[in-house]
Amino acid sequence: MVMLTCSLHVMAGDSLDIQQSKFDRRLERRQNAWLSLIPTHFVIQNAGNMGTLSAGIGWSYGKKRKWETELLLGFIPKHDSSRPKLTTTLKGNFIPWKIDLSKIIGKIPEDRWRFDPLTVSLYLNTVYGHEFWKSQPGRYPDGYYEFMSTKFRLNLALGERIEFKIPENKRRRHSRIALFYEFSTCDLYIRSMFQGSDVKLKDIIGLSIGAKFYTN
Amino acid sequence: MKIMKVELFKSTGKIALAIVGGFLVHLLLSCSGFETHPYDVNIKGETGINAKQMAIIEKEFANKEELRIAFISDTHLWNAEARDEVEDVNRRNVDFVVHCGDLTDTATEKEFEWSRDILLGLNCPFVALIGNHDFLGTGNQTYEVMYGACDFSFIAGRIKFICLNTNAVEYDYLASVPNFDFMEEQFTKDTDKFDRTIIIMHAAPFSDQFNNNVCKAFRRYLDFAPGLMCCIFGHDHSDSVAEFYNDGLMFYGIDCALHRNYRIMTIKKDGYEIEQIFY
Repeated sequence: MVMLTCSLHVMAGDSLDIQQSKFDRRLERRQNAWLSLIPTHFVIQNAGNMGTLSAGIGWSYGKKRKWETELLLGFIPKHDSSRPKLTTTLKGNFIPWKIDLSKIIGKIPEDRWRFDPLTVSLYLNTVYGHEFWKSQPGRYPDGYYEFMSTKFRLNLALGERIEFKIPENKRRRHSRIALFYEFSTCDLYIRSMFQGSDVKLKDIIGLSIGAKFYTN
Repeated sequence: MKIMKVELFKSTGKIALAIVGGFLVHLLLSCSGFETHPYDVNIKGETGINAKQMAIIEKEFANKEELRIAFISDTHLWNAEARDEVEDVNRRNVDFVVHCGDLTDTATEKEFEWSRDILLGLNCPFVALIGNHDFLGTGNQTYEVMYGACDFSFIAGRIKFICLNTNAVEYDYLASVPNFDFMEEQFTKDTDKFDRTIIIMHAAPFSDQFNNNVCKAFRRYLDFAPGLMCCIFGHDHSDSVAEFYNDGLMFYGIDCALHRNYRIMTIKKDGYEIEQIFY
C-alpha cells in the first residue's frame, strides 16, 4: 500500500513535464483500475433477513450511478437460540430513477435534495454456524432436502430513498448522505407462498431502514 | 409536438410514480415488521406449549375410562389443509390431539408460528412431536422453545403416551435417538398410574430417518413397555396399518395434511378402535 501511494506520487510529478510513455499510460490505467476498488460509500441498515443490524461498504457505479454493489456484515442476537450469529451479505441495488426535488418543490435549492422513487435490490446472505449447510450433507439420501440450503438465502427487496448532497464548503467526511427504506423477502418465504395455499404476501414481507454515507 | 411528448412523459411518469408509491405504501401497511433472519429463533407468542397442554390433559383425563384421540401429522406448509383439518377435528368431539411431527417444511421461525397458530385453533388440548423437517437450520431450537423437549410423555385414562424423537439422521446418528434411557425411565416411572402404553414417533423403524441399526433392539426394548397397545407414526405421507415386525404389534401411519385425512382412536377398557377420517 505504501509502495502504491509512493509510486502514485512519483507518477503525478513525472507527468507534469514529460509526455506519458506507453508504460506510464499502462501504469495509470492499472492504478485507476485498482482505485476503482476503493469503496464509494459506507452503509448501515437494520433487519432485512440479514441480522438486527448490518453495516458494510459499497461501490456505486454505472451511468448516473444507477448501480450499487455492497458487502455487509450482520449480527443476529442470541434470542432463544444457543448463541448469537454473524452473517455476510452481497447486495446489488438498481436505482432506475433519480428525481431532483427542487423541480417538484420550488423552495429548496437546486441539486441538493434528491428522491429515488424506487430501488430494486437482490442480495445473497450467508449465515455462519455449524447448524447451517450450503447443500444437504452426505448423511441424507439423494434429493432429501435438495430444494434448499439453510446457509444461503437469496433475498429480493423494493424500496425508496432520499438523498442529501452536502454543500461543498461544509463537507467533512462525506459528500452525500442517503436515507432509505425497503421491503424484503427471501427465497424460502416466496417458496412458502407456492407451497402453502393461504400464505399471504403480508406474512412474508419485512421492513428495513438504513443510511448510506458517500464519499463520491 | 416535442412539448406534447414531454408533457406526456411527465404525466406517465407521475402515474408510474403514483403506482410505485401506492404499492410501497400498501407493503408498509401490511408488512410484518422488521425481520432479523428466518432462523433467528426470536419467537413471538406462545411458547412451552407441550408442558402446558400435557398438564391440562393429565388433569382432565387422568382416570377417564374412554378416550377419543385425534392423530394428525405432516402439516408442513399446507396451511389451508391444516386449518380444515383443525376445523374437522373440532367437530368430532375428541379429548385431545397429537401432531406426529413435521409442523413445518423448512423450519423457519415464521413457519413454526404459522403452524402453531393453526393448532391453537383446536378446541381441545394438543401436543406436537418434532419431525425431521423441523430440524432444518435452527428449527430444533425453535421447537424446544415453542413446544419443549423432543422426548416427552403423559398419562391419560391410565394410559401412558410416550412420544419419541426418532429422527436419527438429523443428528448424523451421533445422538441417543431413539433414546433408550428415556424409554426405560418411562416404562418404569409412575407404574401405579398407568396400565397400558402407546408409543408415538415421527419416523417409524425401517424408514429413512430411523437409526435402522437398532430396529430390532428398539423392538426388544418395547417388550418392557407395560401393556403396550400399538405404535403411531407420521413421516411417510401415507395412511398405513402394518405389523412391522410380524409379531402382532400394530404400527399405524398417519397421512399428511395434503391428502386430507387423519385418524381418530377410540380407547375403551378392553381395547381400541382407530378410524381413518377424511375431510
